[in-house]
Amino acid sequence: MKEYEMDQKQEWAVEAEDICFTYEGNDVPALDHFSLRIARGSRVAFMGGNGSGKSTFFLCLNGIRRPDKGRIMIDGKPFSYTRKGLLDVRRKTGIVFQDPDDQLFSASVYEDMSFGVLNLGMGEAQARQAVEHTAEELGLTALLDRPVHALSGGQKKLAAIADILVMGPEIVILDEPAASLDQMHTDLVRKVIAELSDKGITVLTATHDMDYAYEWADVIVVMKDGKVLRRGTPREVCTDRKLLEQAHLKPPVVLEMYESLKKSGIISAGEEPPGSVEELKKILTGRNDVRKGISEMERTPDAEENN
Amino acid sequence: MISIDQLAYQSALRQNSAAGKMAYAWMTLVVCVAGRSLEVSAAAFVVNGFLVIRKGKISPLRYGKMLLVPLAFLILGTVAIIVNISEIPLDAFAIRLRGWYLTGSRAGVRKGLELCAVAMSAVSCLYFLALSTPVTDMLGVLRKIHLPSLLIELMLLIYRFIFVLLDTAERIMTAQKCRLGNRNLSTGIRSFGMMGSALFIRSVKRAGALYDSMEARCYDGEIRVLSRERPVRKKEILMIGAWEILLVFVTLWSIMK
Repeated sequence: MKEYEMDQKQEWAVEAEDICFTYEGNDVPALDHFSLRIARGSRVAFMGGNGSGKSTFFLCLNGIRRPDKGRIMIDGKPFSYTRKGLLDVRRKTGIVFQDPDDQLFSASVYEDMSFGVLNLGMGEAQARQAVEHTAEELGLTALLDRPVHALSGGQKKLAAIADILVMGPEIVILDEPAASLDQMHTDLVRKVIAELSDKGITVLTATHDMDYAYEWADVIVVMKDGKVLRRGTPREVCTDRKLLEQAHLKPPVVLEMYESLKKSGIISAGEEPPGSVEELKKILTGRNDVRKGISEMERTPDAEENN
Repeated sequence: MISIDQLAYQSALRQNSAAGKMAYAWMTLVVCVAGRSLEVSAAAFVVNGFLVIRKGKISPLRYGKMLLVPLAFLILGTVAIIVNISEIPLDAFAIRLRGWYLTGSRAGVRKGLELCAVAMSAVSCLYFLALSTPVTDMLGVLRKIHLPSLLIELMLLIYRFIFVLLDTAERIMTAQKCRLGNRNLSTGIRSFGMMGSALFIRSVKRAGALYDSMEARCYDGEIRVLSRERPVRKKEILMIGAWEILLVFVTLWSIMK
């Protein structure tokens, strides 16, 4: 398998070596000899069907589940499952759960956000400052005194993200952050995720949205039956039709468009697949005939009007 | 329960110190119940109504409707104290019924009215607190007075889960209704039972997920959270103090008269 990072000297934020994990009472392993390395500061999208092991891996990364076999390292240090060891792990890795109602337990947003920082041993004044600062960054200040049950789904999700960010983690794990959100809140959450990456935080997210993963991620990890089917750049993963079929995934729309334009000869075969809609636009506008076609299309309504 | 919670968040008194409001409500309640004075109870009832409606800007209609709930129980209880069935008419009133009297004594009427007034004033104290102070703020005060953390944690989780479970129950009930689950009494009872068991299973699952999420945030067995700080202003302390002293004096005066 081609390892995207093998030729680069990377600093690994996360290293998982041959992890196996089976839930109690289950015969089928949730993680089956799972190995993966994630570079510091990278944006990693985990894709795969339900039950492919994404959430279990995330829980293992936070020390909530302990692998039956194998080891996990954060910043090159293997996990220690002692109280102090787990505190160190959880200080570095924050996990935002898929359903915010599983995470927000406190009566108000302010209280909920203060829970994690106080557990880290922060003083009261410092904790208050951290809560207020994070809320301001995420635009949640007006919601701080609201009871959690009075928030909308999108607001709950943002509050759940704020719960984790206030703890200042180096690695942020988001389990399907856009699940059951409307477009406005999906965009808001994605904006927050983009800002995390800009700050150099390693972001791991599970998603079923191939278009988003293709444009946002540095690396896509495709999982099936607790195993890594493939990890690579979005281009490597999404152009591998066999792999996508195997994982029951569909290629991103931008690639499908690129493929049909290539088939119809509008784009030359040597052209690199675009990484985003913007890149596809650039490829198209770079061609004289396409430019001509566009300008003709723009002229057509005038001509019709004259007729 | 949900409407009271919403009203507490909407109250114009919400931003006042929760400690001050709690102190006022509890002290007034204790004076009313301990003093058993008709005058003190009436004063407390009127002042609480004024605070809730005028200061808190809660709709008088809503407040009135809420007061009717305990009032109905209270009237039924008080009637038993005031009204007697006797062969001899008493001094307050007497209605003749085939050789018997439906009658009451002045002392009995006063006792009944006192009881009614004390109960309504106590209820108005609690309503004042419930309609001006959200549970979140109350928990903050309870933490400050060092109530055992186990109790506070239980209150916090129960409060949160009431809404989560109500929401889940509502969704299950809607799904049942869509499939004629409440067509008649027998299907309704069966659906209710099924909802109960589904709710129990989901609660257990949710509790597990919640524990995981708390552990992910370094939970070590004790829930430590911060509440917003709203210190009691000197003016509030003076007003509450003066009010309570006045109530105590009126109580003493009514006992001695």
